[in-house]
Amino acid sequence: MSGRYIVQKIAQAIVTIIAIVLLNFLLFRMMPGSPERILLRNPYLTQEKVEQVRADWGLDKPLFPDQFVGYVKATAAGDLGYSLQFRGQSVVDVIESHFWPTMLLLIPAEVIAIIVGLTAGSYAGWRRGSGGDKVASGTSLILYSMPYFVIGMPLIIIFAAGLGWFPTSGMTTPGLSSASFLTQLFDFLRHLVLPLAAISLGLIGGYSIIMRSAIIETRSEDYVTTARAKGLKDRRVLRQHAFPNAMLPMVTIIAIQLGYVVAGAITAEVVFNWPGLGTLTVDALETRDYPVLQGVFLLLSVTVVVANLGADLIYGRLDPRVRS
Amino acid sequence: MTGSADFVPTGRSLRAERWRLRVRGAREFAGQFASRRDGLIGLAILSAFTLMALSPDLFVGAKETVVSATGTRLEPPSAAHILGADELGRDILNLTVHGARISMSIGLMATAITIVVGTSIGVAAGFLGSWTDSGLMRVTDFFLVLPTFVLAIVLAPVILDIIGPEAEFLGLRATLLVIVVVIGITSWATTARIIRSQTLSIRERMFVDRARVIGSGSGHIMRRHIFPNVVNLIVAQAVITFAAAVFIETSLAFIGLGDPFAPSWGQLLESAQSAGAPGLGAWWYIAPPATCVVLVVLSFTLVGNALDDILNPKAQVRR
Repeated sequence: MSGRYIVQKIAQAIVTIIAIVLLNFLLFRMMPGSPERILLRNPYLTQEKVEQVRADWGLDKPLFPDQFVGYVKATAAGDLGYSLQFRGQSVVDVIESHFWPTMLLLIPAEVIAIIVGLTAGSYAGWRRGSGGDKVASGTSLILYSMPYFVIGMPLIIIFAAGLGWFPTSGMTTPGLSSASFLTQLFDFLRHLVLPLAAISLGLIGGYSIIMRSAIIETRSEDYVTTARAKGLKDRRVLRQHAFPNAMLPMVTIIAIQLGYVVAGAITAEVVFNWPGLGTLTVDALETRDYPVLQGVFLLLSVTVVVANLGADLIYGRLDPRVRS
Repeated sequence: MTGSADFVPTGRSLRAERWRLRVRGAREFAGQFASRRDGLIGLAILSAFTLMALSPDLFVGAKETVVSATGTRLEPPSAAHILGADELGRDILNLTVHGARISMSIGLMATAITIVVGTSIGVAAGFLGSWTDSGLMRVTDFFLVLPTFVLAIVLAPVILDIIGPEAEFLGLRATLLVIVVVIGITSWATTARIIRSQTLSIRERMFVDRARVIGSGSGHIMRRHIFPNVVNLIVAQAVITFAAAVFIETSLAFIGLGDPFAPSWGQLLESAQSAGAPGLGAWWYIAPPATCVVLVVLSFTLVGNALDDILNPKAQVRR
């Protein structure tokens, strides 16, 4: 891969991140009134006190360049301000404590969805038009039309409220903190099953649809015809000739998708009351906790940019034609 | 497509000739669409929902409110309430049918914004080229990368604060208006990309040169020569955008950005969640609005894919 290609892609990503920081800065200063109005929801404050707070926070200085430079410096140093909802906690701490629950949910969901989605998609594409394809494609399309929470709600009704196999919400049962490690682990896994199923099913729909069309495209390629003409078994043609080539575009799509999955899973977390970033975002929205909203937006959009950069670099490595 | 190769002198007037080609095109299109079973199924479902959205009173009477509610709290389905009642005793069937108008009009308006912005930017970037193109495409790429749903969550309270919660436009209250605007702002980029690439190829066609030679300005060429040739794509794109708009609206309403006084399907699901319906096993509260969302999104996707295959010149090459 040429150095120029890499440098160009990295430069683009940096410009995009700067634009995101600028947008984040401007968005929350477009609101009528001023930040201290939101922070000091207290009608009994004297004018001097307000002036003093404005001076302390640097709000008496102009937006450009003083306030913006200050914001960029603080952001670069990892200071995202303080949460309004969780008094006294920094935004970074709040986000960090909600980050791992989300990862515990999303990493296995991605793994399951990639395995099942790609298998179902390549089978459907390889046997295009067959009964199996119709069932797989129809199911994928229906799953793809459902927001995660719409998949989650019937799961709760059937498997939690109805059959009672799994708890309806949360990540742990309160009051188990003194129980043995195994009991706690089992309790966590029981809570994990339904949200994991909801997110995996949602992702499987998308992956399988894309994989199906990728396989259909490779199916008419000359090397597949050659492989068939050599007398290879059908299954082997799919596994060793069509599948690896169809994976080429899939790798980038999956890499890009990884950046969006946290954002997509927000509604799933809400429906299962899972204490992750999604629930945090919605709580911040309800309480108008702007610093946290800003922090989540920054984190998630930078993740997407980095995922995109990763996809570009991987693709450049896998496909020599892109480099020129 | 009305390319010059189709034109054979027939002695008819130019207007009659143009009309003849148009009718022939429409007939050809109808024939192609009729052979797509998925598109037809989608169209049938959509017609039913459109009817529901246009005249909900016809099916279930006036929208029930807290005052006119006839059921009891989370009442299971019975003869009087086929789909049971919500936490305020309102009939679920009634609410779901009335939700069609709200969900679908938000989808329609958000689609309109998306298509108008996306098409204008796409045609301008593709046709004007040079720095206009690179500038507009940088902005488009930026919006393409941003996680739409999170941006919508962040934008909605900010816009709500700016226009004030009392604002009203075309009978729409501020909260719903904000959802429309937010979906529009966050989803035009894909359309702009698609329209731009089509404009780039149309720009090189002979009739554009001819128009320029006889002295047409850029604005005129874009409106009279480029635009009519991307309309096909716009139609297909609009249908696909509609599916996405209903999908996003449902999610935004579910996390609390909807209007409880004008409940869309997403808002109904939010109320169900707040009332604890999933944990109580109150399936009758959840199944009707959820089914409607899935059916509408699914059928728009089916129709959109069929239209895209028929109308998108690139898809025709693929086949």
